Amino acid sequence: MATDKELSDFLRSVEKRAFKRTAYTVRDEDAALDIVQDSMIRLAESYGDRPALELPLVFPRILSNATMDWFRRQKVRTAVVQNFSAFESAEEHGDFDLLEMLEAADGYAASESASDTMSRAQVLQAIEAEVANLPTRQREAFLLRYWEEFDVAETAAAMGCSEGSVKTHCSRAVHALATALKARGIAP
Amino acid sequence: MKNVPMNLSHQNAELEALQARYALRVAAALSEQAEGIDHGVSERLRFAREQALVRARAARSAAAAPFVSVAGNGSATLSMAGGPRGSSPWWFRMASALPLLALVGGLVLIQSQHVRHQISAAAEIDLDLLLDDLPPAAYGDPGFVEYLKTNRD
Repeated sequence: MATDKELSDFLRSVEKRAFKRTAYTVRDEDAALDIVQDSMIRLAESYGDRPALELPLVFPRILSNATMDWFRRQKVRTAVVQNFSAFESAEEHGDFDLLEMLEAADGYAASESASDTMSRAQVLQAIEAEVANLPTRQREAFLLRYWEEFDVAETAAAMGCSEGSVKTHCSRAVHALATALKARGIAP
Repeated sequence: MKNVPMNLSHQNAELEALQARYALRVAAALSEQAEGIDHGVSERLRFAREQALVRARAARSAAAAPFVSVAGNGSATLSMAGGPRGSSPWWFRMASALPLLALVGGLVLIQSQHVRHQISAAAEIDLDLLLDDLPPAAYGDPGFVEYLKTNRD
């Protein structure tokens, strides 16, 4: 059973990322805070008697469910569906060469300081905006896999999909981000 | 001929490594951005965390509540509340059946007292009748009964 300290430490460790992830999805800071609080309470009430090691695996799923509940309450599910279909345009880049693009990005970063064109804060805001613009499933997969540092199996379990789908979502998300950030002249 | 699949596999691995490297750089930027969130947002997150901890404590105490109510006295409460769930279920089941047993026992006692009282009352009447100068058969005579009624009025 997780102690109060373990539960508190866990919540403190994930709260900012949880807030940001939710804010990317709902695009409303107050709503994101409400959803995170709701998720924390659900976790505490329903899983407070579970071992502390299980909490990181359960919380993303609770957060996703709470977010979906919010969308249901707001009756904006059509907006979510639009996000899901927004990926179609990325398929047009059939001859996209990530290797070449990433190498070019490295070169760009080395030859041109970020302060030459925009401040570091602006770069971070632009990256955040592009992440927020990703289709919902791609963003979820990308953030769980690379931000929460879940492995593929854990990401698949948290998202309720197959490991193959996770890999596909992550790959497409990285391609989409690389393309969008390159168009803005940004190398993360 | 084997070089082609090996090259493809090598390229895929290289691409995956590049993807991961790029993704981790993006994630690092997101972490940097997340660390700079507003003080107001941080305070609301702290409040949410504290609320969640309060709920967790309430859920735990609610789960332990049945043991406390059944135990009955202070010393027993302390010893039971700390024990694992279901450690002595037969003991708790018996304890919860005690009030019902007491109720049934009380009803049986009241009923037996009532019957005994009725028997003793009937015995007193019989004794009075037998000890009286008037023979009991007189109460079966209609004229004597009428006489009693007249005297009562």
